[in-house]
Amino acid sequence: MAYNLSFARKVYKNAEMGHWIKMCMQCGVCSGSCPLGPLGAWEFGPREIFQRVRAGKEEEILGSGAMWMCTSCYNCIVRCPRGLPITHIVHGLARYAVETGKVKPTQPTARFATKVFWNNIVKTGRVGEAALSMHLYFIDGIGTGISNVLEMKDVALGMLKSKRLNPIPFRGKIKGYDGFKKMLDKAFELEKK
Amino acid sequence: MADKKIGCYICTGCGIGDALDIAALEVVAKKEQKIPVVKNHAMLCGAEGLALIQKDMTGEGVNALVIAACSPREQGEAFRFDTRIMDRVSLRELVVWVHEQADQKDADTFEEDRNMAAGDYLTMGCMRVKKMNAPEPFQDPGFSKDILVVGGGVSGLTAAREIAKAGYKAILVEKSDALGGHVAGMHQVSASKPPYRDPQPNPIGQLIAEVEGFKSIEVIRNGDIINTAGAPGLFDVTIKTPSGDENRRVGALVVATGFKPYDPAKLGHLGHGSSPDVITGLEFEAMAKAGKIVRKSDGQPAKRVAFALCAGQRDAAHLEYCSSACCIASMKQARYVQDAYADGSAYVIFQEIRTPGQMEDFYRGAQDAGTVFIKGDIQKVATGSGGLDLEVKDKLLRSTETLQVDLLVLATGMEPNLDTQDPNVPAPVKPGPETSHTTLNLQYRQGPSLPNLKYGFADSHFICFPYETRRTGIYVAGPARRPMGIAAAMTDASGAALKAIQAVESVARGAAVHPRAGDLSYPSFRVEACTQCKRCTEECPFGAINEDDKGNPLFNPTRCRRCGTCMGACPQKIISFANYSVDMIGSMVKEVTMPEEDDEKPRVLVFCCENDAYPALDMAARNRTPLSTYVRVIPLRCMGSMSLVWIADAMSSGWDGVLLMGCRHGDDYQCHNVRGSALAEIRLSKVSETLKTLQLESARVRMIEVNIMDANVVVDKINQFVEDLSELGPNPFKEF
Amino acid sequence: MTSGNAAHKTILVVGGGISGLTAALEAAEVGYEVILVEKNPYLGGRVAQHHKYFPKLCSPTCGLEINFQRIRNNPRVTFHTLTEVEKVEGSAGNYQVRLRRNPRYVNDKCTACGDCAKACEVEIANPFNFGLGKLKAIHNSHDMAFPNRFVMDAEFAKTDAAKKLVAVCPVGAIEPDMQPQMVDLTVGAVIWATGWQPYDAAKIRPYGFGSNANVTTNMRFERMSSAYGPTGGKIQRPSDGQAPASVAFIQCAGSRDHNYLPFCSRICCLASMKQATYVREQYPDAQVTLFYIDLRAMDRYEAFQKKIEADPKVEWVKSKPARIEENPANKNPIVIGEDTLTGVRYRREFDLVVLATGMEPNAALQPVPAANVPTDDYGFVVNDGGGIIAVGCAAGPLDVAGAVQSGTAAALKAIQALAQVKG
Repeated sequence: MAYNLSFARKVYKNAEMGHWIKMCMQCGVCSGSCPLGPLGAWEFGPREIFQRVRAGKEEEILGSGAMWMCTSCYNCIVRCPRGLPITHIVHGLARYAVETGKVKPTQPTARFATKVFWNNIVKTGRVGEAALSMHLYFIDGIGTGISNVLEMKDVALGMLKSKRLNPIPFRGKIKGYDGFKKMLDKAFELEKK
Repeated sequence: MADKKIGCYICTGCGIGDALDIAALEVVAKKEQKIPVVKNHAMLCGAEGLALIQKDMTGEGVNALVIAACSPREQGEAFRFDTRIMDRVSLRELVVWVHEQADQKDADTFEEDRNMAAGDYLTMGCMRVKKMNAPEPFQDPGFSKDILVVGGGVSGLTAAREIAKAGYKAILVEKSDALGGHVAGMHQVSASKPPYRDPQPNPIGQLIAEVEGFKSIEVIRNGDIINTAGAPGLFDVTIKTPSGDENRRVGALVVATGFKPYDPAKLGHLGHGSSPDVITGLEFEAMAKAGKIVRKSDGQPAKRVAFALCAGQRDAAHLEYCSSACCIASMKQARYVQDAYADGSAYVIFQEIRTPGQMEDFYRGAQDAGTVFIKGDIQKVATGSGGLDLEVKDKLLRSTETLQVDLLVLATGMEPNLDTQDPNVPAPVKPGPETSHTTLNLQYRQGPSLPNLKYGFADSHFICFPYETRRTGIYVAGPARRPMGIAAAMTDASGAALKAIQAVESVARGAAVHPRAGDLSYPSFRVEACTQCKRCTEECPFGAINEDDKGNPLFNPTRCRRCGTCMGACPQKIISFANYSVDMIGSMVKEVTMPEEDDEKPRVLVFCCENDAYPALDMAARNRTPLSTYVRVIPLRCMGSMSLVWIADAMSSGWDGVLLMGCRHGDDYQCHNVRGSALAEIRLSKVSETLKTLQLESARVRMIEVNIMDANVVVDKINQFVEDLSELGPNPFKEF
Repeated sequence: MTSGNAAHKTILVVGGGISGLTAALEAAEVGYEVILVEKNPYLGGRVAQHHKYFPKLCSPTCGLEINFQRIRNNPRVTFHTLTEVEKVEGSAGNYQVRLRRNPRYVNDKCTACGDCAKACEVEIANPFNFGLGKLKAIHNSHDMAFPNRFVMDAEFAKTDAAKKLVAVCPVGAIEPDMQPQMVDLTVGAVIWATGWQPYDAAKIRPYGFGSNANVTTNMRFERMSSAYGPTGGKIQRPSDGQAPASVAFIQCAGSRDHNYLPFCSRICCLASMKQATYVREQYPDAQVTLFYIDLRAMDRYEAFQKKIEADPKVEWVKSKPARIEENPANKNPIVIGEDTLTGVRYRREFDLVVLATGMEPNAALQPVPAANVPTDDYGFVVNDGGGIIAVGCAAGPLDVAGAVQSGTAAALKAIQALAQVKG
């Protein structure tokens, strides 16, 4: 692979907080702080994401699941010695991957966040937990959907019992939905610019 | 000076009076040593005690003092009298405190032994003062306070300017026809003031103008120093110029000859020589200064530039050390690329980023400007169709990557632009015109160059005394001394300028410079008795002694640092100070009465370095560590001044053993006179022959290394020696 | 007290550490009158607390002893311990300075015989050892203290026990009623050499200093390694006094970090390498691990790094650890982070962890009490060419040789400031 600054320049310019990536000194405190790290859940920790952005590894980074794993615990931001807003950079990169269409179609978090969750909330102005779960389970078709549901049923029952899951779908719209809709439209308009 | 009249004052405070038989001590001073005025006081360091002494000095004509109280390291300000003849006898530390409790001995014997120790120390103190004369400072009507600065780069210019600003005259000699050195060829410099983030305009032009504006700075361009003769205050320097030789008498020198960039031709592995687009940092500076950051191969804009740090540095095959300025310099140069081209790319390929102190912000500034930092090794440099193709083993990506650039800039290191010589191999040559050409062409018996410390740099070995110099009055500054950047060099040059000023002022007072700053004594040579053995001229750590054609010593008092190494080296006892001599210490050794063999009271003599071992003993005394009562300690200026005559004196007068306590020597030596303790050890290796002729065991003399923080072990080491000696039995010479 | 004749020819040096001592002595040895003030009861400052210097591994006391001899032999240097500067007014050549001389509660008659400490029954935490170990409430600050004179703890001085000690002193040196004194003087130049203090490691929350007993700091480790320190030189775990079999050093603990000290403290890499030798010398089987971002062994110190690298029992991990946990079973610190050269996240247990904390400028905590003295964002004093000259670590993080160079250069600047004044 060849080093190439063109990707980094695009990120610095277009991804939210992307310009901060320049300032990383590769100390590793972020990756060491990430609670997802010990689970082996990500391909790259934040440090490695930043190094790869600077090295020009566009496909590798934007196509990776690394920045979709962030749980926004903010440990990395708090500890980063260079003051990088790491959580925001990582989310910005994720969003940039969506915008550029580089995100893999199979990336589950991307699909959940940008499709299922989004559609659910936009429709009524409020999240309907049951419908959200169902949508997520059946995202890959009816077969996997059923097995997903069966797999999660105990969790669902537990959540129902402890009143963490409302089985009745939210009907109608939230109060002031019009205002909410206006906000969203404005945001879309701004983003298009 | 009028005749010497000695007063001996015994303090009875701090438990001295309780522990010791003061009346008996007064007898020692008065009857045995014939000291005319002997008094005691309960608190000699108090106002009343001091007044007592002062009264005798003004009223009784006492002009030499034996003060038997605490350690000479205590109450220095209190016992400051108008006399140069004084000895402090440490009754408190070396007698009372180390002999506080009876060990296994019965109390009576212990008390007797303790009083004997006190008596012996007082005896030695009286003898020392009897043998001491007031040193008269060395003076010469030809002393100059002008200072010669060698090298017209940023260090030399700074030194000259600082000297002039302090009111002294500087003579600046530059070998080329232009001032400014390497810095003159630079586009910008790094930041030394907040906010520390961005490169700053090059200050060299202003510095040159300032120097040229001083009436008190004489600038000699195209000057080549062909001869440096003389000594501090009296250096006679000959400078060859195109219009003839110039001679200047100066008091001191600042040597600021800077650095030579490491030869890039040796960096073939980084592509040097394979393409004109592989250049050095200084070449890149010139490009930026000319406003043309282009490929040398075809003149096209060089928008993609890689900087290879540690090029030929930190590498056993090239320069082993770090040149300390290259990280910052390369970051600065990366900024030139970004400044010149909005779409410019700069890559810094590094091992470790070294931006100490506030320079961390300069690193931040470089990152902010978009410089990419790659921790890795350049494995291959090839010329491709679109530029230079680098193959880089990226240590953080853990992969080998390629990088195409227009220019590869090698951060080559600094080598001292100054010849140095191994100080441990005394120059076999006599000074003279036949010696090969060097930077200073010093007319020193020990060679024409400055001593090397490491890697050819003329640095000081001392962490705490970076301007300690082994050639008095000659101070090296800037990267000739140690690799450093511009800001550090300017500070260093100011420091060296101060030391040069201090040297000329000290010389004018006839006083020594570091480490015996202010010492007015200096050795005199009874040359008529010299056997031309050349030991003094070879061993002087500071090159103070030249030789005439016959091998007689030619002493330069203002080069001298008063350590006494020459005195210790001389087998003929022809070298002595007014207040420190072979005869003085020898007389002290011989004056101590040896108990009869039947008394079973051995006597063990300890010679110790007054800078390290002696304070360690003081600290042991503070902690009341019990020392054998058979031991008598004599501090020396330096182990280098230790004369074998004293060992012979001790042995022939019945001492049972002699222990020498000197500083660590070798690579990490701690001897403030460079080689004093090492030389003492070499001398000692010859002692066994001497002892053999006296039919004595060589185990009776031992040398150990003692560090100033060895208080916890020093007493054990001495006591161990005393114990080991007891197995040899008494010195048979006691009977004579 | 007045500064005698030619006040404008006198230099005031504030701070008696290696930078201030050097500046004072170098100026005095040129021939100028110097007044040196130090807030501690002794001279020598931070270096006096060090066990050894890198790279020679020699004792700082050795060089200090030479400097103290230079003071003893030089009547041009006057020094005052326990003294602080309240304010400075005026300009180069003519500064009016107010000094505050805090009470020692022991007067100049003290001969350091030690009778008072023997009689004193109250002990305090030893400030020289950063509170580790105890010493008598009337004491000599440390074994090689200069001046060799006792000092009484200010809180203890208020007690009846202190008053009882008055009678113990054979020379009448103890004065528990001693009051602070203000002293005004005029000087021509001021050298500000107030140095640094170790960054407060407790502020670095993820590292658990203060809650995890076996996490210590580099300066405490210096004291622990000294034969005259709180453990008599034995390197041990604070929790149980056991010899550590594994010791980790964590670099940039607080330095190069925008949350704490954004600058690099320059000396900590080499200091930890030096401290690695303490461990390895004392425990030939012990393992040392050094966590770092960049190893900063400049110029010929590189050889020192190479020397430590040659030790197979010293391991280097390029990583800034994220946090330190404590193993409740054995109180071992567990260091957690990412090894940036392998990408592997580690969780490693050590017997002892030493935080290489950096230098916080004292001038940031106690600013120069004068108008128009510029500082940078970190509180280091910036030299702008005026008659108040910052030196050593008051101006930036330096090693000892650098501080001495800076002190020597500052002496020249002060002399120049005086030279400009006609008189």
